[in-house]
Amino acid sequence: MATVKFTNVQKIYEKGQTPAVADFNLEIADKEFIVLVGPSGCGKSTTLRMLAGLEDISGGTIEIDGEVVNDLQPRDRNIAMVFQNYALYPHLTVFENMAFSLRLKKMPQDEVYKRVTEAAEVLGITEYLTRKPRALSGGQRQRVAIGRAMVRDSKVFLMDEPLSNLDAKLRNQMRAEIILLREKIDSTFVYVTHDQTEAMTLGDRIVIMKDGFIQQVGTPDEVFDRPANLFVAEFIGAPKMNIVRTQLIQENGKYYVTPYGAKMEVDGENGRLLKEKGVTSREVILGVRPEHIALVAESAENTIDSTILVNEMMGSELHLHVRTPDGEKLIARTPTVNLTHEERNKMHTGYPIHLTFPGKVMYFFDPETEKNLLY
Amino acid sequence: MAKKIANENANPARTKRSMGVKVGRRISNTFVYIVLILMTVIWLFPFFGIVLESFRVETPQQVSYLWPKEFGWDNYYKLFNETDFMRWFINTGFMGICTAFLQVFFILSVSYTLSRMRFKGRKFLMNFMLILGMFPGFLTMILIYKVFAEAGLTMEMAPVGLIIVYCASSGMGYYVSKGFFDTIPKSLDEAARVDGATRFQVFYKVIMPMAKPIVIYTILMGFMAPWGDFMTASYIIHENSEGMNVAVGMYEWLSKTNLNTHYTMFCAGGVVVAVPVTALFLMLQKYYVEGVTGGAVKG
Repeated sequence: MATVKFTNVQKIYEKGQTPAVADFNLEIADKEFIVLVGPSGCGKSTTLRMLAGLEDISGGTIEIDGEVVNDLQPRDRNIAMVFQNYALYPHLTVFENMAFSLRLKKMPQDEVYKRVTEAAEVLGITEYLTRKPRALSGGQRQRVAIGRAMVRDSKVFLMDEPLSNLDAKLRNQMRAEIILLREKIDSTFVYVTHDQTEAMTLGDRIVIMKDGFIQQVGTPDEVFDRPANLFVAEFIGAPKMNIVRTQLIQENGKYYVTPYGAKMEVDGENGRLLKEKGVTSREVILGVRPEHIALVAESAENTIDSTILVNEMMGSELHLHVRTPDGEKLIARTPTVNLTHEERNKMHTGYPIHLTFPGKVMYFFDPETEKNLLY
Repeated sequence: MAKKIANENANPARTKRSMGVKVGRRISNTFVYIVLILMTVIWLFPFFGIVLESFRVETPQQVSYLWPKEFGWDNYYKLFNETDFMRWFINTGFMGICTAFLQVFFILSVSYTLSRMRFKGRKFLMNFMLILGMFPGFLTMILIYKVFAEAGLTMEMAPVGLIIVYCASSGMGYYVSKGFFDTIPKSLDEAARVDGATRFQVFYKVIMPMAKPIVIYTILMGFMAPWGDFMTASYIIHENSEGMNVAVGMYEWLSKTNLNTHYTMFCAGGVVVAVPVTALFLMLQKYYVEGVTGGAVKG
């Protein structure tokens, strides 16, 4: 239970090379669940490993509970860590794996027993305590790894892509279990992942990184609804946001965008914000999430008349990959519940459909800086 | 019913073909076994020869027949009571044990360091040691003798000097164990360090138990070196019986003047020398367990 503070933290592997982590500033509150997310090579794991003490810090300071830990060995930082590949001690039983850190602390035997059995109970691995890691499945091994971190009263709980070695089904199950576990452990969490779904579902706040720089820090709602820039907008949400460079036109106090020859009004909150910010006619990058695209029966001034390229049936929804009149590709998501059986049967490759973008859920970015124009 | 008929029709052809395969396999197996048996005889003949000679009582000379006319322990009795063999044996054993332990310490430390730590000049050091190791060791013999003679580590003090020779550059034989350590995932070290272990605790609590086969291998290699060494040893011992190892000591018996009186005793000595090495190997063999790292990380 502790706060963590990064101040201008930097990591440079070799002199003269671009930093792996640059000017990283972040304050993590006590008992907060922070998720570091980004594509591979963005510096998220390096940041976590610097916090753990497994990598040297090239510049800046990291504080745990107000104490600068830059020069402390991992064992002196009072942290627990779960690794992507579990990293269980193969020569020790599950019990001894979990007891390892307690034994190093020379904790009394009955206390060790109590803690390990309690953690095993919570994780549902009591019956495996006498087994060696070799005789466990992937999911069970990851539970042991989590148990090994749980038994310690560590200040910060670090997780480095703990679910990415599990299959999809198990991953969903473990994700839910981590949410439950978090209630029980009640500690400060720093969780690294490349999976935006994990980030959105687990994090109190999400730190989105790219090329060593923080792009945005915010709650899942914030990064989804108000992405700071184009990168965040495209990274969060699946399938990813549709992007088109287009003209924003101010006419008679109203705003319009003109993607692919259609003319759509920007209304609702977006229209109000554009007016407030005093935005005039200009070029913008328009972003529209696939789930916000609406299918319209008739062609009109505000529709994009396209043809279906691929129709992916996901069960509860369809993912429609369509080609616009300009030859660009768009992805639209539409719930199957709104479509009749006949309509769905018609939606195959080459079928013409009409799409429109609702003005209140559009995103606007500066073509130069790629920053969000509204927030 | 139709199915059954079809099966019966199909079977003879298949049986015929499989018989052809069987005969072919039997012929090639027979050939392989003949070769293997022949090789076994060639391999074991000297060993049995030496054991049989060592029990021959009627004459200490080389003879033209193999099976002794009279069996007895005389050669072994003389070996321990009428020669310095006991002294040489103790010397060699002492050197073997010391070398084994020191080499395990040096080699494993060097290999673990080279495998896990990253420091300036690491690559250079590794290449340098590799190239240096390619030069034959006896190139240094004259110099080593000079230094040791000055330091008083020759003649009766030769065992101590030889231990230094065997262990001094043993760290250069790091490749096998470094290769082994490289296969142990680094995240195990990291997990242990986060769990509160010092670097040394990581080494002996996590890595060593997994490295058992390589520790055993290193012990065996270290122990064997002094038992078989003749060249370096004969130089440093310099005909002083007090400091001799078994190889140098027994070599004396093969000289023209001694051969006819010491030959069967030489054979007895050879058998006695083989005992500790064989025993050690049998003892440690069971620790060569495969798959000790199974289940540590996602494979």
